[in-house]
Amino acid sequence: MRLTSGRRLLAALAGLMLTAAPASSQPTTTTIRVATHYNAQQIAPMLACFRQYEAEHPGTRIVHQQVSYEDFIQTILISRVGRAPVDIYNLYSIWAPQLIATRALDPPPFEIERFVRANYTPAAIGAATIAQRLWGIPNSVSVYQLVYNKKLLEAAGFSAPPRTPEERMRIAGAITKKNRQGNSVIGGYAFDLSGANVTHVFYSEMYAARVPPYTADGRHTNLRSPTALAILTKQTELFRRGITSNSVLAVDFAGGGVGMAVMANWMKDTLRSVLGSRFEETVGVAPIPTDGPGGTMIYSFFWGVDAASRAKPQSWDLLRWLNSPRGHGGLSCTGAMLAGMGDLTGNRADLSAMRGQTADPFSQAYIAALAAPGAASQPNIWHASEVDRLLKYYIQLAWAGRMTPAEALAAADGDIGAILAEQP
Amino acid sequence: MAQPESPTHPARNRGALLGVLKYTALALGAVIMIFPFLDMFLGALRTPAERLALPMVYWPHHPQWHNFVRVFTELPMLTWLANSILVTSLITAIQMVTSTMAGYALAKYRFFGSKALLSLVLGAQMFPFFLLIIPIFFLLRFVPLAGGNDLLGQGGSGLLNSYAAMILPFAVTWYGIFLMRQNFLGVPNEIIDAARMDGAGEFRIFATVVLPLVKPSLATLGIFVFLYHWNEVIWTMTVTRSAPDLQTIPVGIYLLRGAFIDQSTFSLQQASVFISILPVMILFLLLQRYYVRGLTAGAVKG
Amino acid sequence: MRAAVDHSRPGLLDWLSSKRVAPYLFVAPVLIFALSLFLGPLSFAAYISFTDWDGVADPKWVGLKNYTYLIGRDRFFWTSIWNTLYFAAGSVILGVPSALIVAALIAQSRFQSFWRTVYWLPMVTNIVAVAYIWWYILNDTNGLLNRTLDLFGLPGPNWLTSTSMSMFSVILVASWMSLGQNILVFLSGLSGIDETYYEAARLDGANPWQVFRHVTIPLLRPTILFVLITSLINALSSFVLMMILTEGGPARSTTVTGLYLYDMAFTDLRLGRASAAAYILFAIIFVISLIQLRLLRRGGVEAH
Repeated sequence: MRLTSGRRLLAALAGLMLTAAPASSQPTTTTIRVATHYNAQQIAPMLACFRQYEAEHPGTRIVHQQVSYEDFIQTILISRVGRAPVDIYNLYSIWAPQLIATRALDPPPFEIERFVRANYTPAAIGAATIAQRLWGIPNSVSVYQLVYNKKLLEAAGFSAPPRTPEERMRIAGAITKKNRQGNSVIGGYAFDLSGANVTHVFYSEMYAARVPPYTADGRHTNLRSPTALAILTKQTELFRRGITSNSVLAVDFAGGGVGMAVMANWMKDTLRSVLGSRFEETVGVAPIPTDGPGGTMIYSFFWGVDAASRAKPQSWDLLRWLNSPRGHGGLSCTGAMLAGMGDLTGNRADLSAMRGQTADPFSQAYIAALAAPGAASQPNIWHASEVDRLLKYYIQLAWAGRMTPAEALAAADGDIGAILAEQP
Repeated sequence: MAQPESPTHPARNRGALLGVLKYTALALGAVIMIFPFLDMFLGALRTPAERLALPMVYWPHHPQWHNFVRVFTELPMLTWLANSILVTSLITAIQMVTSTMAGYALAKYRFFGSKALLSLVLGAQMFPFFLLIIPIFFLLRFVPLAGGNDLLGQGGSGLLNSYAAMILPFAVTWYGIFLMRQNFLGVPNEIIDAARMDGAGEFRIFATVVLPLVKPSLATLGIFVFLYHWNEVIWTMTVTRSAPDLQTIPVGIYLLRGAFIDQSTFSLQQASVFISILPVMILFLLLQRYYVRGLTAGAVKG
Repeated sequence: MRAAVDHSRPGLLDWLSSKRVAPYLFVAPVLIFALSLFLGPLSFAAYISFTDWDGVADPKWVGLKNYTYLIGRDRFFWTSIWNTLYFAAGSVILGVPSALIVAALIAQSRFQSFWRTVYWLPMVTNIVAVAYIWWYILNDTNGLLNRTLDLFGLPGPNWLTSTSMSMFSVILVASWMSLGQNILVFLSGLSGIDETYYEAARLDGANPWQVFRHVTIPLLRPTILFVLITSLINALSSFVLMMILTEGGPARSTTVTGLYLYDMAFTDLRLGRASAAAYILFAIIFVISLIQLRLLRRGGVEAH
């Protein structure tokens, strides 16, 4: 190959690549880009709705883009999503403070605010509210409860799930089975290695004891409280006695390898698909074991609009349309998607329309937990993701026995306090 | 390549025993090298039921061959494959061009700054890539008038989420320049001078006279670069995290890990991983002769 | 071959292809790259390291605050440095002698290209695949390794889930992956040793082990030192395997400094501190490299 002509070809290609402009909208077509972490299967009902909206509003094109959950906020802040700016995001509420501080979100217009206040539960509205201001339309609401394998409990001689950490330890100890190498074949109680399962479970137990992990102003932690210490100590005891370990994972519950774990309601989808017809007779839901009055943690997502979007009014219109009741059984588009995933919603109309699909004991238990006193929203604290990861680190150190629970919580309080002190 | 034969020790029983030990050791090591791939292959063939059995069933009784097909139908493997081919080929081509040109100039010319450039080439290899990831990422983001940016480079995403971002930071390889320079040093100056006297311009000399003389090391460099960048993960991942349609095979598989959270999808994940290593393995098996030949042609000595 | 050119009117192209100008054109792309994608970023990173920056707002100058924070107040930074050194030392101590032994065995065996290919296969495998392959093998209950150990009645350690074993496991995997590369280098070094040395030693009645120890290794010294240096530097900069295989855990037991600063930059968006951490780590690597070069020179090896 003659090098000169090859080089020219390369230069041409390079030039093409470099100047590849983002797909720009035709003069008469408005493109609205929606970014969520939902995969193709989960977003399918919404996509059908998108097509319907396009048919009803000619000149509009709606595109969905999936962004990985772990990278979502960095993606919005740094690289923007895809090669063209995104208009609508499905946001985890704890991402909001940072996004708002960098002015990445568009405050909703007044009609949208009115729409939300009229149609959503207070808990959901609270999750989409930061600093007394509403920033979007609430989407899914998730709540944690103890999920247990009825068969495994019965086989170990227990007919009721644990109500306190002591009972938890006793029941889990009876269920745990190990192979001759000492590795767990069936785990009585499972945590997990992901941030959600380590830190959120800890928060849930704190809320169950009615001690929030952070002060109301979001500037200090309550990690040095006796409650937090008791919670972590009892969790650590499970590890110390070999009842659970880092290799006993909550994801193994579906396969029957785990007796109990704290999980969010959206696991219903996975559990049902793996257990099939044995779902109802195997899976039980109970309040989180606690020495306190009882409670749990709620966390939520909401739909927000990018401040740099070139189609803001259209985006808010689309969102309002997606969250208003439609023909099929009165569910909104969002409601249909959430119902398909086994998710719960804060939309009143959807909640009542979903009653058919949520009549099973599993969903009913979670809905009851949502409405019960003691169910508190995860606080939208400053740099929440970083703080969660830091707490996870110290909790795991305590579990591994490398630090005492008291030392771990004190260190966590110090490091996290320093981060919280940075906020404006 | 010199092939030292077995040492000519006297034929004793001990010699035969040592021979057996030697081949046993090598075979054991080979098993350790190969078996993990086999394990992955078997994992791709298991059914969810076999996975969930206690203990897990190791040899699949009903091999799920269709998992390998599912990789292409349920995952964007073809997109990933196309991206891998495109990006790796471009990087390889560009690096070959820059390495040969600069290597030749540094070998055969004395020009202002050549010593400094040579020191840069040698010294630059000392800087680890992690030092460059953050600044290059943001320099690409703030390129003016690109990706929606204004004149000051604000507002859009710059060159991020583009093939340019995946390729440009790898346009030059210091090691490649060094390697080619070593090779060009071995080209006799007489040939070049003769061509000059015939009136040929420097570029023509380079392309038609000198380059053909270093073809083996060109092949080596090309294969080395291609293999390395086909498998490159950290930079590609950093710049395509939010652009799924640009992701290469390893990056795509890794960033989809959230979708493989339970036992029923593990086999699919293992199948996709297995597919991801096939192209390179086949390529390597076919071309490794050239790679090794070029390596031992005096390039690798300390 | 070209016909005689009319030199009476030298054009632009001729000037560009002249012996004086052509070299500059040859190196022009590399020069542009060096400025914009090497020296430029290095300086930019240095600048950022003295600022507080989240990538969105304007950088705020804070002087040495990032450095003093990392060195003095960050509880985890020095742990990560320790993890880095532990990993680097472990993978070199495990990987280099193994590669040498295997290379020596291969060099004296038949079917060399077969052995070479087999030992090199992990090297051409992408790191995501390597991580996942071993993640399944090292699973505590179902993984191939523990089940094989169980066949012999041996205990099954918690390879990736125990804070004390995890880094060791990562070292094993990393060594597995890079063995082939070092074997290849050693093979080419071995092939450069003259047969006469071996013959002389054998005529003196040395057994194979003595030949290896007193003939092969001393003659291979430059190659050995080269492999040691490159392996150590690569290991000190390596973090992607930890990211994928263990996510730096459990409890950050496999979080090396490279991983720590990557997360700092791209997850927490603390770019100033991350750049400072990068430069501190680089300084450590630089010093270690200098020390090694000193050793090399004392070994009496001519530099390339």
